[in-house]
Amino acid sequence: MAKKLRVVHYLNQFFGGIGGEEKANTGPQVFGGAIGPGRAIQKAMGDHGEVVATAVCGDNYFGEKMEQAADEIIDLIRPYKPDIVIAGPAFEAGRYGVACGAICKAVQEKLGIRAVTGMYEENPGVEIYHKDVWIIQTGDSIRSMNEAITRMVNLVTKLTDGEKMGKPSEDNYFPRGIVVNEEADRTGAERVVDMLLKKLRGEPFESEVVQPKHLPVVPASRITNIESAIIALVTDGGLVPIGNPDKIEASNATKFGEYSLSGIQTLNSADYDVNHGGYDTALVKQNPNRLVPVDAMRQMEKDKVIGKLYEKFYATAGVSTRAEMARKFGQAIAAELIAAGVSGVILTST
Amino acid sequence: MRLELNVINIKKVQFTKKTGIDKGMLSINREELQKILEEDTRLGSVDIELAQPGEKCRITRVFDAIEPRARLGNGSVDFPGALGKQGVVGDGKTCVLRGAAVLTSQCFTGAEGQSRRAAGGIVDMWGPGAEVGPYGGTCNVVLLPSPSQGTSLSDYLVAIKIAGLKTAVYLAKAGVDLTPNETEVYDMEPFPLTRRDLPELPRVAYIFQIFSNQQLPLPGDPVFYGDNIDGIVPTIIHPNEVFDGAITTLSIDTYLLQNHPILKELYRNHGKSLYLVGVIITNAPNNGPAIERAATIAANQAKFILRADGVILTKYGGGAPEMTMGATAQKCERLGIRTALAIQHAGLDTAEISLKPSTIFTDTPEVDAIVSLGTNVGGPDLTLPVPERVIGMDSVQLAKELVRQVSQIKGATSLIGNSKLMTVRY
Repeated sequence: MAKKLRVVHYLNQFFGGIGGEEKANTGPQVFGGAIGPGRAIQKAMGDHGEVVATAVCGDNYFGEKMEQAADEIIDLIRPYKPDIVIAGPAFEAGRYGVACGAICKAVQEKLGIRAVTGMYEENPGVEIYHKDVWIIQTGDSIRSMNEAITRMVNLVTKLTDGEKMGKPSEDNYFPRGIVVNEEADRTGAERVVDMLLKKLRGEPFESEVVQPKHLPVVPASRITNIESAIIALVTDGGLVPIGNPDKIEASNATKFGEYSLSGIQTLNSADYDVNHGGYDTALVKQNPNRLVPVDAMRQMEKDKVIGKLYEKFYATAGVSTRAEMARKFGQAIAAELIAAGVSGVILTST
Repeated sequence: MRLELNVINIKKVQFTKKTGIDKGMLSINREELQKILEEDTRLGSVDIELAQPGEKCRITRVFDAIEPRARLGNGSVDFPGALGKQGVVGDGKTCVLRGAAVLTSQCFTGAEGQSRRAAGGIVDMWGPGAEVGPYGGTCNVVLLPSPSQGTSLSDYLVAIKIAGLKTAVYLAKAGVDLTPNETEVYDMEPFPLTRRDLPELPRVAYIFQIFSNQQLPLPGDPVFYGDNIDGIVPTIIHPNEVFDGAITTLSIDTYLLQNHPILKELYRNHGKSLYLVGVIITNAPNNGPAIERAATIAANQAKFILRADGVILTKYGGGAPEMTMGATAQKCERLGIRTALAIQHAGLDTAEISLKPSTIFTDTPEVDAIVSLGTNVGGPDLTLPVPERVIGMDSVQLAKELVRQVSQIKGATSLIGNSKLMTVRY
């Protein structure tokens, strides 16, 4: 029989009984034993564990000084020698969810112990922390508290008993970014014919694959003074200087390059390579302007159609690129372009 | 179109003075076969090795695998267009040497030979590698063709594709006059559109992507009746033409086309829970208007010519071809045809919070039935032990214990569903 787990529970000012929104600036404190929802956790754990302490912190305090607040809380709970930390559940409360995720992550890194939290799928804390922290799926409101507690304690039990974790749908947690192949009971051919037959008969079936939920992209407002605007060129067609000095990968790229166009009127084949595993690159190698149209842009500068071509172009290879990587590239490039006063981008893809 | 496969079971293979088959032993006159293959001026010398199941033997850079098959009858044509003559396939009788395979091991020197495009896969004849793929259990005739001086990689790949097909026919011709061990019959008759007395079962068609325009077609690549189908529009064919040599590709082993798992499964259910009514072959275009065009034509064919109630779709390639797949499936659904797709994932978004792996296309809620065929980065990993013998290039690097994913074993996984692997999120 495993020893009794020492659990420390994290709550915000509201669940910790300090007060409402007006108390959101309260700094971290720790109390012995369980408070509020912690009592339900204690009950659910029974003899398996004991809520030895509860750390409470205001959502605004945490949100404004995240790393410092986390360190302060860790210092407060360290003397209680926790085996595991449970945070929340935060349901739909955004600041609270982010704080729960952050404290769990910090506790894992700095105390080397496991941490579990719970929140609703739309809580921003999910997207930020789901790969680092075990996050139970909860409903959107306090009405689902019992279910949330049950799920969190179930996860804690599995983590500490050494039992194999089930799939996210079985153990009610958000997927943690681990993607693996497993053997089904039948071949893909048998499964796809069977799935079609069920669909044709109007019988229930479960798709093995879903469509991605892309966040809507709000277009920027139109450029009103194009004849004085700075326009940049960005591509995912894999154009790199000869020798690919930044070693950008031809698929599953993890970086992008930035290359000077200063003094360059047209791109010469001898100066560039095309490193991209998803299309026939011969035509671009022959004349790189086909992908990154420097020659046409220079003409537009001369004709005063645009103000200026931006002095660098950005490039990566868009082959099997992880979507989160593409988002990172886009955000980084956009930040630089905005800082440089660029108003528009021509983005070429292959 | 009724195809009867005369199956002869092969248990062992050897080199002797005369090519023939006796009691499961396939004997091969090596010099005679080499001479035939070396006629192709794109090739220099062609080495041939044999590998039996159970041997601690590893075969590298396996580019294609072909089941030895030859059609019976005077004037019969095999792999029409690919080997020169045109002709009809998919009906009559074809001899099959089951338990044997021709493997072509790519021997192009230099960096090009090691490039992703040409790389090929590994076949192990023993151990964990043999258990996951079909060719660890077949008696293999391995071709090791060298390119002739000045031959480009693209011409070489087409030449070795054809060498494999020629060898498959040469070997199976030794069996055409023998009594088969078993026969398999593939017949879509009685055809439900012409017989009103048949029970009401859903009619199912298969939309089969066999080429992607991400790359230029290789000149001379015998994709469909010997043509490289640059510019193809969706085309209706009989499933037996897929089994019987009308199609070869660069990304799906010929052996798997000859034994197409989805078509075999549809045939298995034919007349019992569905009617298989036809196959539509298509490409995956590389631009929006062409994708829309291909989707429209294929969906119209499925709906108005094949009168399909349901359609299964597979793709050719990684992410980009999923656009064609999604567009085609959506058009089918909007015409009232139910669809089910089978996809092998390329480049999964690991940051996604969805409970299941996802596709690339979106905004097509009607396309709601999708089977996962695994991802080539999701493992599982296999530890392949040290071989006693290595056939093919890179023998020094590969003559040791290797850790490889299942998808790197030739034939273990494919775009057409022969494997049990599926991708899961944790």
